[in-house]
Amino acid sequence: MRLLTALFVALTMALPAAAQPVKHVQAELVAEAQGIAPGQTIHVALRQQIEKGWHTYWRNSGDSGEATRIAWTLPAGWQASGFTWPAPRRLPVGPLMNYGYEGEVLLPVAITAPAAAKPGQTVQLAAKAQFLVCAEICVPEDASLTLALPVAAGPAPADPKWAPAIAQTLAAAPKPAGLAAAFQPHGTTVALAVTGPAIKAADKAGAYFYPFDATVIDHAKPQAIEQGPDGLTLTLTSGYAFQGGKAPATMAGVLAVGGKAYEISAGPSAPPSGASGLGPPPFKGDVGASLGLATAAVFALIGGLILNLMPCVFPILAMKAASLAGHGGESMAAKRQGLAFGAGAIVTFLALAGVLIALKAAGSAIGWGFQLQSPPVVAVLALLMLAVALNLSGLFEVGTSLQGAGSGLASRSGLAGAFFTGALAVVVAAPCTAPFMGPALGWALTQTPAAALTVFLALGVGFAAPFVLVAYAPGLLSRLPRPGAWMETFRKALAFPMYGAAAWLTWVLAQQAGPEDLARLFGAAVLTAMSGWLFGMAQRRAAQGGKPFALDLSAGLLAALALAAVVWPQDAAAELTSEPYSPVRLAELRAEGRPVFVNYTAAWCVSCQVNDKVAISTSQVRSAFARHKVAYLKADWTKRDSTIAAELASHGRAGVPLYLVYGTGGGDGVILPSILTPDIVVKAVEAADKP
Amino acid sequence: MAGAVQAAPQINAPAPDFQAMDADGHPRALRDFAGKTVVLEWISSDCPYTAKHYDSGTMQKLQKAARKQGVVWLTLSSAAPGRADYFTPQAAKAWEAKVHGAPAAVLLDGDGRIGRAYGAKVTPHMFIIDGAGQLVYMGGIDDRPYADPSSLKGAKPYVALALADLKAGRPVAIPVTAPYGCSIRYGAAAGFQ
Repeated sequence: MRLLTALFVALTMALPAAAQPVKHVQAELVAEAQGIAPGQTIHVALRQQIEKGWHTYWRNSGDSGEATRIAWTLPAGWQASGFTWPAPRRLPVGPLMNYGYEGEVLLPVAITAPAAAKPGQTVQLAAKAQFLVCAEICVPEDASLTLALPVAAGPAPADPKWAPAIAQTLAAAPKPAGLAAAFQPHGTTVALAVTGPAIKAADKAGAYFYPFDATVIDHAKPQAIEQGPDGLTLTLTSGYAFQGGKAPATMAGVLAVGGKAYEISAGPSAPPSGASGLGPPPFKGDVGASLGLATAAVFALIGGLILNLMPCVFPILAMKAASLAGHGGESMAAKRQGLAFGAGAIVTFLALAGVLIALKAAGSAIGWGFQLQSPPVVAVLALLMLAVALNLSGLFEVGTSLQGAGSGLASRSGLAGAFFTGALAVVVAAPCTAPFMGPALGWALTQTPAAALTVFLALGVGFAAPFVLVAYAPGLLSRLPRPGAWMETFRKALAFPMYGAAAWLTWVLAQQAGPEDLARLFGAAVLTAMSGWLFGMAQRRAAQGGKPFALDLSAGLLAALALAAVVWPQDAAAELTSEPYSPVRLAELRAEGRPVFVNYTAAWCVSCQVNDKVAISTSQVRSAFARHKVAYLKADWTKRDSTIAAELASHGRAGVPLYLVYGTGGGDGVILPSILTPDIVVKAVEAADKP
Repeated sequence: MAGAVQAAPQINAPAPDFQAMDADGHPRALRDFAGKTVVLEWISSDCPYTAKHYDSGTMQKLQKAARKQGVVWLTLSSAAPGRADYFTPQAAKAWEAKVHGAPAAVLLDGDGRIGRAYGAKVTPHMFIIDGAGQLVYMGGIDDRPYADPSSLKGAKPYVALALADLKAGRPVAIPVTAPYGCSIRYGAAAGFQ
């Protein structure tokens, strides 16, 4: 019996402990005043003290989680508002994003007493707060809370502890500030443009939009910031609400910018003016952010000096310097030559900067090296590098022959030549500036155009300085080695950095564009080499007194052809749109009574690509497909695929290409020849559409 | 490069195919179920939202109703190894036995590949694929994003409604909703596109 009693006692003592798990949030109600007058509104806050490493959630919890809720039980006539939500914090969880609070948070609520409330009474404000608190795991917790609030005849004194805290929370909470906001979807992104006096001068770095609705954006995706004279534009990744080409009626939420938070509501309309055009804000904590203009200019000057040593630039400059050295005596001529070079370099730098600033102002999302984002430009630069390399290798000469490299120094064409060399050196240097100068130039471009031009000017001066210096200091000039047979060897050795530059640009192109562009560049490179060879042959004939008109002409034609091959625009919509093949899809399409064209292909199959270009992706076939409502399925065998292999085998094929046309009348597919013409495809399709 | 990046799934577009082992060690692929409606349900054994729907029996009821309708119900776990709710085949089977779940299979997606292909974010995150392989529903199981079990009463059961639409041959009236629940605990290296 005693044992049983002991057991019973032990059980009853153990039970409450088991039913009361450890809480991760301490919750209480706190009031800003020690009492309330009849008809008065005061603020009461739900205070959450959250365990370290855990968090509760904002009104939109983000990708997961749940906002804190509160349900009041109030005496008759008393009213409670919803929470005034402080701006949340971003809480990334693996690949997801949550919005919420850590540490301590006050969620204020406005409580209004009825006019009939009797002074001298003390009312019990009761509330049940429910919140999800998460760390690695999530625990739903709730708290039944009460607050005793005396009713006073007049406004009661402030609560010494909570009045300041609640007032501060309310003051810092996001509020509307008359900001103009609009959003526009672009594919999978949506641009949110916001302007207004409140944010005009704010530091835009780190600006962030917290939507009220969980479906309008993909919370975890970065928000790209573009500054404007009157505000900013955020590029967001659109959320579920944009699925299927739809768009929500509004995008409302909190814009956190410059240490403040504002409520905004954007409609689907054209962006307010002044929301973009000034580029992204400088990175926080980046060296560039603290750079003054003078410091930036000095860095640019040093950067320009270093550029002289870049493999793209050095060969050109070394040759030019060597030619100056040959005329050490004619210091006047050398000086003019040097100045012309410097002017060419600086003017070109400023021109590039001007173009860049203009494009920036036009709102293009570009940076330095933007010229390298365009595949045709990369391809042309690669060909230029190759041509310079071939020239250095001695395949042909440019302008004056090597032997007479310095002969025209004082001549007018020499000056123009020097100016051109300066300009060329900058163009050629551009690819090298991208990786080395990117951050500094990026900073320059976020500044005013005048400041940006100053930085570019410093860069140009630094770039031109060594050459001008050599021209102006006869001492230096005379110390340069005399020209001689060594130059020929030196020049040929210098060809290799240029070949390297060409190879690097080709690699860049391969990253940007498809195998087809790469093939076109290789073709153009062969043409360029052949053109250089013919040109060189013509030069030697001319030197022997011949008139190599035909050679010159064919060299020129080949060069033009090479250039055309890389810059000729590709038919962007060239490839017919297709769906990936699957037996299910085929069956479905056939059930719909549509003729189906199945193309078994692979990237590595040359004849497949040729067929695609010359026969399938032609306007003839395109219109025939449209006319007969042909469904185009592509079975891509580029990677091993057992389903496709089995299909091929069932048609007696061991590989691709295989073209099948299924008629509307049912039955097996008709196998087309392995070498296609538009006519074959069109006829097969016409036959297939006959029931 | 573009090939490595999975675009978010689009409604009324072909659903991403997938392959995974189920808890019984059988390989399962979406294409195995061609012609049938497939429901994907992401779960976590220690998530209060998953618990809300299983403790109340609503999820099991929906699974059984779906089975009767000829729908293939696949329950998935994308929690990474090392996470508290990571599913080994044994753990998955033990959990299903405990909750009396009635899916056609539990798929083990510990490397998060299926989850990432579908952009699955939470437990429960629900997807429905029609017989033609088109994604016809994605989002929450209902319109009550709360852990509180009392929130089930009067909830609008999005998944049940979508299945009813499919059964009646109608297009799904509400094809996209906000998912809610606990974050899926993907592996640390998991990129999410």
